[in-house]
Amino acid sequence: MSKDMATPAELSGVRDTVTVRLPATSAYLSVLRTATAGLAARLDFTLDEIEDLRIAVDEACAMLLTQAEPDVDLQCTFELHGDAMRVAVSVRTLDGSEPARGTFAWTVLNSLAGEVDAHASPDGLVTIELHKRREQTRSA
Amino acid sequence: MVECPGRRVAPRQQFRGTALEESVDLHLDDHTEDGLTVVDVEGEIDVYTAPKLRELIIELVNKGNFHLVVNMERVEFLDSTGLGVLVGGLKRVRAHEGSLQLVCTQERILKIFRITGLTKVFPIHNSVEEAKEYAKQQK
Repeated sequence: MSKDMATPAELSGVRDTVTVRLPATSAYLSVLRTATAGLAARLDFTLDEIEDLRIAVDEACAMLLTQAEPDVDLQCTFELHGDAMRVAVSVRTLDGSEPARGTFAWTVLNSLAGEVDAHASPDGLVTIELHKRREQTRSA
Repeated sequence: MVECPGRRVAPRQQFRGTALEESVDLHLDDHTEDGLTVVDVEGEIDVYTAPKLRELIIELVNKGNFHLVVNMERVEFLDSTGLGVLVGGLKRVRAHEGSLQLVCTQERILKIFRITGLTKVFPIHNSVEEAKEYAKQQK
């Protein structure tokens, strides 16, 4: 998509939200990475930014999978804005605790995703949110 | 130079239970060159496939291969799970006074090593030949 093209959301004024629901098992992570790359490409992210997002979403999901209850789904919601993507990954967990932050996974996620946050609800649902902005300065 | 026949290890037999088991994208091959065991990795290393690499490294070390070179030139994706496997491998070979070197020139993969500070932990080379030269200098 060229730089002067608007996303459908920009044209209509309606926020684009895509939700992907997958079995909470690692075999499906490659599918989610592909979806992430496809959506990021629609927002005209650079190849490096797309790769960063692909890894960040993978890391977020991999962290949550370690705590997921058996036989539940992982839900990944992508909100596509004009120059940014917000991704929320959530799963119902056994312990309802936020992911540890001193790990390689969190370091990679925090470095690549832009803004990152994690929170847990009382019913055991744990969510990791990423907010990645498209770089502002682009060569012509 | 002694060349040992390589092995191609497909991980799918280890990961049954999903409809996607046939789509696992990681292939491993190992052979010996000049006293170094070279592990050629092709495909994606993530939380699903990384256990297969871990198993191969453990198997190689258990068989007495303590000087490893992991060739990542054909790796298309690497996440922190893969880093953990490599760090685990390094600990194993070091317990036998061995070494674990990497071959990687892909910027997107190197970036993950830089973010986590692992470029200071692993010798990372541009080619297997370079890794072999480095190993000779370390003797």
